[in-house]
Amino acid sequence: MFNKGKNGTVSEGQVLDVLKKVQDPDLHKDIVSLGFIRNLKIDNGSVAFDLNLTTPACPVKDQMRDEAIALVKGLAGVSNVAVNMTAEVRQAPQMDKTALKGVKNIVAVGSGKGGVGKSTIAVNIAASLAAQGAAVGLLDGDIYGPTMPIMLGIEHPPKSVGSRMIPIDAAGLRFMSMGLLVKSDQPLIWRGPMAHRALQQCLFDVDWGELDYLIVDLPPGTGDVHLTLAQQVPLTGAVIVSTPQDVGLRISLKTLRMFQQTRVPILGIVENMSYYICPHCDSRDYIFGEGGGKRAATELGIPFFGEVPLDVAIRKQADIGSPIVVAMPDAPSSKVLREIAQKVAQQVSIRSFDAPILEVE
Amino acid sequence: MSTGIQATTPTKIKKLSPTELQILWADGHETRHIAQVLRGLCPCASCRDEMTGVRVILPIHIPDTLEFRKIGLVGQYAVHFDFSDNHGTGIYSFEYLRELCPCEACARKETKKP
Repeated sequence: MFNKGKNGTVSEGQVLDVLKKVQDPDLHKDIVSLGFIRNLKIDNGSVAFDLNLTTPACPVKDQMRDEAIALVKGLAGVSNVAVNMTAEVRQAPQMDKTALKGVKNIVAVGSGKGGVGKSTIAVNIAASLAAQGAAVGLLDGDIYGPTMPIMLGIEHPPKSVGSRMIPIDAAGLRFMSMGLLVKSDQPLIWRGPMAHRALQQCLFDVDWGELDYLIVDLPPGTGDVHLTLAQQVPLTGAVIVSTPQDVGLRISLKTLRMFQQTRVPILGIVENMSYYICPHCDSRDYIFGEGGGKRAATELGIPFFGEVPLDVAIRKQADIGSPIVVAMPDAPSSKVLREIAQKVAQQVSIRSFDAPILEVE
Repeated sequence: MSTGIQATTPTKIKKLSPTELQILWADGHETRHIAQVLRGLCPCASCRDEMTGVRVILPIHIPDTLEFRKIGLVGQYAVHFDFSDNHGTGIYSFEYLRELCPCEACARKETKKP
């Protein structure tokens, strides 16, 4: 159906036709229809193109690339295939064009109860995405107990230009925390409206610039900050962090229901403190029970992102202000966290892709 | 009455005139709302008692000349209106807006309920 190229060489049409066999397993469409193929160049037997994915943290990018190369190489007259992997995170359709115009996706990280390691997970997800080439912002929205400045080793308050605050660069992220606006040993004793205003400031009065992902770490539970966030910005989705224990999970479900009521898509559940690896004999000990998070995710029909072990290295790196995924990228726990970050990015891509568009006139 | 997420997911919200609003839903249904009625059924805490749920304001208290000034989304689950009487504190969830659909078909379903 396509014209044969001159002198027996392959044509653009033939290349695109064969590339249509490569499916994006998440978006359930072929990579040609999705517009992923860019800058296709054919020079005699050499074929080169960009494969432009929806996130640099795509967990199946190697698989798609290898499949594409194999198929094009199989065409008669092709001797060499060069694929350049690129990524362009798509904007969530309902994203406000005015207030946070450079931010493509906002993802909340929440938990039901405190102390489940929500902030640790959020920092490591954000740092993983940044390490894989995405532009990532991190907002510590836990106004009552901001721990993130410690985890990122930041003590100084943010600078301001005019009325806008400049986020602080740390671990490859642009970071902002309520904890930076008050003295670190001072408790925050605020009523709801103050919390509301503080979060608004951290969202809208910060010069976030261009971001693929803005990760917002929420306080535990279901309170003012959650509602403000759900009302003020169109969240691409929320990640729930829980421990395997039944009690932790049951409370997390409340947070989950709150997001559902405000129509914030639940991207998935991360189970933290899943097991402890004995440093002496390497055996796994499921201190808080096994498989609770996975069961809950299956019951609720939402993705399960993975089990993060109780690992001294994760805690130590957080305490010295250098997240494990950045400081020790090859550690087993870093691998687990990186895979979780990839699954988050994957779900964000899926959500941005099929989210309905609502017109208001 | 309306069931499923499709029935409570709007695809278009449009001001047809200063007093009339059109909502198209993902299930294909169309709703027309009058500003007077929506204002009179405002779900905010000062129009409807927070503890008892008893309405303080009803549509009969609102003139039929009342207009929509501004329409905006609240996150991804609700709509808020600034009305010409300067009231604007109500958050109208998509479910609530569908529930209030005054069309004949919806009204019939409503009365069928036990």
